[in-house]
Amino acid sequence: MNELLQILSPNFLLRDALFASVLVGTVCPLVGVYFVLRRMIFLGVALPQVSAAGIASSFFVYQLFAGPHQQMQGSEHVLAMIGSFSFTLAATLLLALLERRGRETVEARIGTTYAVAAAATILFLAKDPHGDAQMVNLLKGDILATTAASLNWMLAIFGAIVLMLFVFRKELLLVSFDRDLAVVFGKRVGLWDVVLYLMIGGVISLGVMTAGPMATFGFLVVPAVTVRMLAGRMLTFMVGSALVGGATAFAGFYCAYRFDLPLGPAEVALSSALLLVAWLFASVRRALLAWPSRSGEDMR
Amino acid sequence: MSTALIDLADVSLGYGGAPVLADISLAIHRGEFMALVGPNGAGKTTLLRGILGLVRVLGGRIDYNFDRSTSPPGYVPQRDTLDPIFPLSAIEVVLMGTYAKLPPLRPVRQRHRRLAAQCLEDVGLAALAKRQFWELSGGQKQRVLIARALAAEPDVLFLDEPTAGVDHQAEAVIIDLIGRLNRDRGLTAVLVSHHLGHIQSLVHSVVWVDDGHATKRSIDAVRSEEGVAGLFRARD
Repeated sequence: MNELLQILSPNFLLRDALFASVLVGTVCPLVGVYFVLRRMIFLGVALPQVSAAGIASSFFVYQLFAGPHQQMQGSEHVLAMIGSFSFTLAATLLLALLERRGRETVEARIGTTYAVAAAATILFLAKDPHGDAQMVNLLKGDILATTAASLNWMLAIFGAIVLMLFVFRKELLLVSFDRDLAVVFGKRVGLWDVVLYLMIGGVISLGVMTAGPMATFGFLVVPAVTVRMLAGRMLTFMVGSALVGGATAFAGFYCAYRFDLPLGPAEVALSSALLLVAWLFASVRRALLAWPSRSGEDMR
Repeated sequence: MSTALIDLADVSLGYGGAPVLADISLAIHRGEFMALVGPNGAGKTTLLRGILGLVRVLGGRIDYNFDRSTSPPGYVPQRDTLDPIFPLSAIEVVLMGTYAKLPPLRPVRQRHRRLAAQCLEDVGLAALAKRQFWELSGGQKQRVLIARALAAEPDVLFLDEPTAGVDHQAEAVIIDLIGRLNRDRGLTAVLVSHHLGHIQSLVHSVVWVDDGHATKRSIDAVRSEEGVAGLFRARD
């Protein structure tokens, strides 16, 4: 309880990190909803890894041209963001293009992407004198290094993405649910795909740089999968996923602080526990709804 | 002067550059109820999708003698092409029809919601507006999709096997509904079906699709023993 009060105090030392964590937890599920709806959940595994490869490539480029570094900050931070975003966007567009051609299976495309990205991450970092330390930071995320300035950037970028998701929700829903109807209505489906991929790229890049690939993947997928089992409407699905993600991020932060645990895994573990509870609830509800009709059939 | 709403002139349609249908010349007239009929796999859906711009035109020309941006066609797809992972109520599905005339940044307003509700009422499902779309029966889902097509306020309605996989009672309700929309509102309707069944008393024209070609025939010709037998002829 004491730790909870500390966390909620305005003078809490890690306040910016807490805000960043809750922001990632809230915004990732909003694009994660489209991963679930478009049945591209595995892309949620591969893209954070691609983003990590982008960040590692930026470390590599930085030390190649500007010399060795100790910690990611300033111009290096911007470079990492550019690396992460460009890698993620390029991979997303490439995967979308390959999907249109449809010559390989989805699993083959995503599996190969993951393997290449993981190998590239390690190879880029191997050429960095501080590669080991960077690798650990990259996998865990660097959330404790969140500053007021980086938090403002996050708020601005995430805010813009949430606004776009809200403003363009009817186009994104139509293109995702019934692509043919969107074409018949004269909508530019390719353009809307690119808009969605840009938002996905932005969220993943910022998420990975802040919370690491594992927590980002967790927040992209688990809250949306959890809420999908219970939601009956799109609005409930989207808002519910964001709320569950934000609440889990806060609870995960509390657990990590209280029990001295690594933050990302604590958040993912909590999300997964909630997923289990939702699954049990949905199963019981389904069984109860089916029960009268089954007993009716038995009576007949 | 042609009064056709849609004109197809020597049109070839296909996938990956390989034509499925060739040399199709057809005219769809305003107020017409047309059925595209033929054996399974003959290319009826390809023809419908080609007219809608969903399949590449490999040759020839399709002229739309109406403004597709102000009066987009209504489209009722085969319902199993839609993914049940989307948590949508019946009214949310119908509301999507109103997106046809809504440009980006223009929000859905109360009048669009009223239009969607009215369309749902027109198909006799007002009471199920808030029900989960995927919980509805096959026939009810199909009527919701027809309501969605109507919400686009179209001049012409395209329906891809709207009675596939529904029971006889639901089939009669759906066909009666489409017939009423055509008769009472003057809505042009183009419908894909693999058998004439219930529709033969309602349609004005039948296009026979088989062997890579599509030809307009009189209903009497299709009604004739030869035509009906042809419908059920096993394909090689």
